[in-house]
Order: sequence, then C-alpha cells, then structure tokens
Amino acid sequence: MEEFLRVEHVSKQFAGHKALDDVSLTIPRGSVYGLLGPNGAGKTTLIRIINRITAPDSGKVFFAGRELQPEDVGRIGYLPEERGLYKNMKVGEQAIYFARLKGLSRPEAIRRLKEWFVRFGIESWWNKKVEELSKGMAQKMQFIVTILHEPELLIFDEPFSGFDPVNANLLKEEILRLRDKGATVIFSTHNMSSVEEICDNITLINASHNILSGSVDAIRRAHGNGQYQLSFRGDAAELRNALGDHCTLLDSEEGELDRVKLHIGAEQSVRDIIAVANDLVEIRSFQEMIPSMNDIFIRAVAGKL
Amino acid sequence: MGKIGIIAGREFNERVRKKSFIITTILMPLFLVAMMFIPMLMVNMKSNTVREIYVVDDSGVIADKLQNNGSLRFIPSDMPLDEIKEQSLDIFGVLVIGENIAEGGGAQLYTYDSSTIDIESEISTQIKDIIETEKLKGYNIENLSEILASVETSVPLSVKQFSESGEAKDSSSVVAIVAAYIFGFLIYMFVFLYGGMVMQGVIEEKSNKVLEVMVSSVKPFQLMMGKILGIASVALTQLLIWVVFIVVVGGGLMSLLAGDMIEAAQAMSSGMPMDMSAMGGMVMDADMAAAINTLTDPAYLFRLIGGFIVYFIGGYLLYAAMFAAVGSAVDNEKDTQNLQTPISMPLILGLFVMLTAMQDPNSPLAVWCSIIPFTSPIVMVARLPYGVPAWELWTSIGVLFASFLAIVWLAGKIYRVGIFMYGKKPTFKELFKWMKYKM
Repeated sequence: MEEFLRVEHVSKQFAGHKALDDVSLTIPRGSVYGLLGPNGAGKTTLIRIINRITAPDSGKVFFAGRELQPEDVGRIGYLPEERGLYKNMKVGEQAIYFARLKGLSRPEAIRRLKEWFVRFGIESWWNKKVEELSKGMAQKMQFIVTILHEPELLIFDEPFSGFDPVNANLLKEEILRLRDKGATVIFSTHNMSSVEEICDNITLINASHNILSGSVDAIRRAHGNGQYQLSFRGDAAELRNALGDHCTLLDSEEGELDRVKLHIGAEQSVRDIIAVANDLVEIRSFQEMIPSMNDIFIRAVAGKL
Repeated sequence: MGKIGIIAGREFNERVRKKSFIITTILMPLFLVAMMFIPMLMVNMKSNTVREIYVVDDSGVIADKLQNNGSLRFIPSDMPLDEIKEQSLDIFGVLVIGENIAEGGGAQLYTYDSSTIDIESEISTQIKDIIETEKLKGYNIENLSEILASVETSVPLSVKQFSESGEAKDSSSVVAIVAAYIFGFLIYMFVFLYGGMVMQGVIEEKSNKVLEVMVSSVKPFQLMMGKILGIASVALTQLLIWVVFIVVVGGGLMSLLAGDMIEAAQAMSSGMPMDMSAMGGMVMDADMAAAINTLTDPAYLFRLIGGFIVYFIGGYLLYAAMFAAVGSAVDNEKDTQNLQTPISMPLILGLFVMLTAMQDPNSPLAVWCSIIPFTSPIVMVARLPYGVPAWELWTSIGVLFASFLAIVWLAGKIYRVGIFMYGKKPTFKELFKWMKYKM
C-alpha cells in the first residue's frame, strides 16, 4: 500500500523526561491507523510533532512523499483529546470562525457547515450558545469543525469519549466513510474494542518507545498462542482421552454443546486433531482463539509479549 | 497576517457586542466626572450644618465683631466658661478670648466635637483682621477706609514660554498640571484594564482548552498577536467614542461660552487694556486667560491628544504582551498574583514618578523615566503638557516601540510553552527557562 506519512527515528526530550525515544512508523494512505499506548506514553507528543505544534529534537516526519512543511498543517485535521470551545459564542458563528482559521472563506464555510449540520440533524443548534449544549453535542460540533476543510490526514485523539453508543456508532461510520473517500486517519485511543472495529494498522507506544507495529489482523494472529476451541455433540470423555495423545487439553465445559479448549503446539498438526475428533464426535465448530487487542495491549505494556 | 486578522476580528466582535462594553463605554465618562465632582459636592455638603460657638470675650473688643458665615455662628456670652460647661448646651464649642489678645495673648477654643483646620483658620483669620483694623484705627488716620481700598491690588501674571522657534506662547501651569494628571492617570488605568483583559482572555482560552483546538491551525504567536491587536482595537474604539463625545459636548459648551471670552482672553494676553463692560461683567484673571488660550490652541491640543494615543498604543502593546505571557503560564486567575507583581510594579512606579513630574517635569528622574519604556507611557504623557524637547520625545517613542518588539518576541516564546503546561504554578525562573526552549 502507498505510504502517506512516515515518522523516522523521532526523539523528543522534555525538561524532566524523554517523551519519545527513536520512534519510527509508517502510515499507509487511505487507512485507519491506531496509535495506542497507556497514559503518558508519548502519543500526544507524537501527534503534536506531526501537527508541527512542537518540533522533534531529532528525527524527521515525511508527509505525502516529502519532508513535512509548515503549510502541510492546512492538510491536517486534528481533534485533540481536550475538547475546547468558546462558551459564550454561538455554535454557527464559532464553527465559521474555526473553519476560517483552517483557510476556508466565509461563504464556503457556511455552505459546508449547513450541509454537515443537516447530516447530523443539528440544524436547530446554529444560533444556540455553546454553553447550552451537552458535552456530546459540543463534541459533535467539534468533529464537524475538524473535518470541514476536507483534510487528507485526520487525527482523532480519543474521539469516542463522552459519546453514547448511538452517537459513537454514527461517528464511527463517518470516520470509515471519510477513509473510503481517501482520507488517512490516525486514531489515538485506549478503547481497544474500537481499535478492532475500525483500525487497519496500529502502533503501540509504551514508555516513549514504539514496541509493536503492524496490521491489526497480523498482530492478533501473531500473538495467538496456539489455543483452539472445539464444540461438539458426543461423548466428551472419549474425546478427551483420544485427543490427549495429540495435544494439551486445557479445560472443558459441558452444556447444550460440549466445549473443549486445547493447546496445539507448533509440531502438532491441526488437521490430525480435527481428523481424530471427527471420528469420535459431531463437530459443531472449531476455531482458533485469537487474543483480543485488549489482551495484547495489556501483555505488551506489562512487558510479557 | 490573514489569520491574525481573523483572530483579532473575533476578539473585537465578541467584546464590542457584549453588554459590558456598552455599559462601560457609557459609565466610564460619568464615573470620571463623578470622581472629579464628588469631592466638591462633599465640601459643599459639609457647610450645610451650622456650628454654634459661644464666645467668652474678656477683652471686650472681639466678640461682637466676629462675622457669622454659612457654617459658623458666633454667640457672645456673659457666662464664664465653667458655667457654660455645666449647662451642657447643644453647641459646637466655646471660644475664650483672653484680656490681652491684642498684645499676643491668644485665645482658646474648647470643643465637644473634634475641630477642623477650616474652622480654626476661619476663627484665627477673623480675630487677626479685627485686631489689625482696631490697631490701624488707633493711629487716627483720616479717610482710612478709602486709603485701604486704594492700596489693595491684584497682579495678573501671564506666563509665556519661548518655543523652539523663539516664539513666546501662553503657558498655563494650571492646564498643564490638570492635563498631566488626567492623561497620565488614564494611561495607567487603560494599560491595566486592557492588559488585564488580554491576560483573562488567554487564561479563559487555556482553561477552556480552546487553545488545544486552535494550535493545530494557527501558530501560537499568531494567536497571541491576534488577541492583543483585537483588544487594542476594542480599546481604540472605546477611546474614539469618548473623544467624539467630548468634542461634541465640549464643542457645545465652547460655543455657548466662547466668543466673548476667547476674544477677551486673547486681548488680555496681548497686554491690551481691558474693556470690562464688553465682558458682561465677567471677571477674568491672567490664569484663566492663559488657560483658555492654551486650551484653544490647536497645536497644543494635537500634541496632547496625539501623544496620548501614541503612548497609549505603545504602552498597551508592551504590557499586553507581558500580560499574555503571564496568562499563558497559569491555569486560573488565582495563580496570577505572584507573576503579575513584577509587571504591575513598573506601572505603579510610573504613576508615582508622574506625580513628581507634574511638579518638576524636567527633573532627571522624570526625564529618565520618560525614556525607560516601562514607565515612559505614563511619565512622558504627564510631561507633554509642559512641552518636551523633540529629541527626547522621539527617543522615547523609538525606545518604546523597539522594546515592544523585543518583549513580544520573548512573550511569544513563553506563551508557546505556557499554553501546554497544566497543573503547577510556574515561577519566574521557569518562565525564563521557557524562553530558551526549542519548540
């Protein structure tokens, strides 16, 4: 896939600590890229470096094939984790203000804003003051402001915090739609289930280092530790006896469907095991137990990967 | 420049449309007028109560010659002091005049309430006049009252100052001192008022986290300059409204009073004999004539108002940049105290130097403080009404605007770091460290 943004050996030192230490990553065009990591790992610093809010002590950032230039900032839309709006300003006016700072003319800003306000069903807020809005409403407005100038690179820092499930879903669909229209999305979060749902690739930053990068699927598969689950109808005891010779039995449970969890080592063949089981019982399902991003995250941060 | 313009535009629109702007624009002149007139009113109110003083006169010459006025009433009494005291009358006090008062014996005033300087000087002046008149009478001079009337003289002293071109112009110390005080004080007030507004605005944006959203599309320096310039335009708009107001009201008053008076004043200052009847019985002395001539001199007014605006802009920009830096460093207004002190100090110092400059506008202290940029806006504006050598004026303005550029540059560096620092109250030392940060 074509590369869109590349971070090369970036380090950044603050007074007391090192925020980023030799971090490199590559973000393909038109993908959703998850930037994961515990609090204080250096994600926000990295985002600020990409936004040119701060400069790295060493290392480079390449944007669309060349080194990041000051004017490239206009091609980035950034929704920071700390959402902020002027409380006393009216919603419409404030949205126009932010859009103009992004380089849109007033009439163009109004045209696009009206479109988005209709799309989100919030036309009636136009003349309301921001202080009258709920937190979720204000965040919707901020989302619109972030994407209004149709930037090629979108950076969302914890975009779903504060949203109810309905609106979170609405937002998720909009993010995926923007990606499908060609935008590249960087997505920073702690919410691992959303990572599985929308991220194509991720980088995990911990204690200022990039400790894990790759596509979500590949990472999950790579960290599958050979555990499988078999559910079946038939004689469980007989099956366990037969399988014991071929692999390690972990645990089993009986119910409407009996299940057994097994660990299949690298030297053992999945096909053999299925063949053995197939002779004895009626197999209903057989699947690899792929670890969730949440498990991988916790294990990676704890250094047990 | 475009983005700074958009930011300044928002600041301007938001603030000018606020009710508080309209209210302060209307109330401020009223407030200033009230500040000037309330003390006068209070002086008048005091005289409404009449104080009664019993006079026990052992010399027998003074008591019946004391004149009552609006606030004092003298009642000659035959009773001795002790007896009056026993009766506990509802009076202000008792004046006891000794037998040999004329020979310097003196008098005593016993009061139930605390006495005031006004009352004491009124009484001693009256007694002195009575005794002097009595003594003169003792010489048995004929036509004494006519002689005294013809001896009385008043000397109108008109002061003219040589300008650099050698021309002698009316100079009124009264106008100068009043103008110096008003303009100097206004600069002090405005710099604090609008500089504080910048600081509040920055703190608001920081605690609202609006800055986090903004910095991705705007450079911190643009944000800071936009805010400073936006509020400057609010301040200038407000000033303009007041100037128009003053010109309209003042012009109206002028056209009512003007004509005759201005002519008379000009005649007087050119030393022509005065035709009192032409003035409609208006009494005019040299001070007043000089004041009117000074105030109707366009060059003088232009120098004053032009100087005020230039120094207001320069002083405001210089201090607003520092206030912005302080605002960026803290999380809420409570934490500004210790960082604000070093900013307020030179301003307050300027105010004190201004008070001495009004007495002696060319003292070394006044001259130096009118060139040092942190005090020059106040001190120089106070010196302007007295006339300032051109080279001093231009040096001062040059230094002021050059240091504005330097301070804005430094403040921008603090601002850029400060807006992302949350949590702890920074010290001054840390602010200096921030200036050296590479961002």
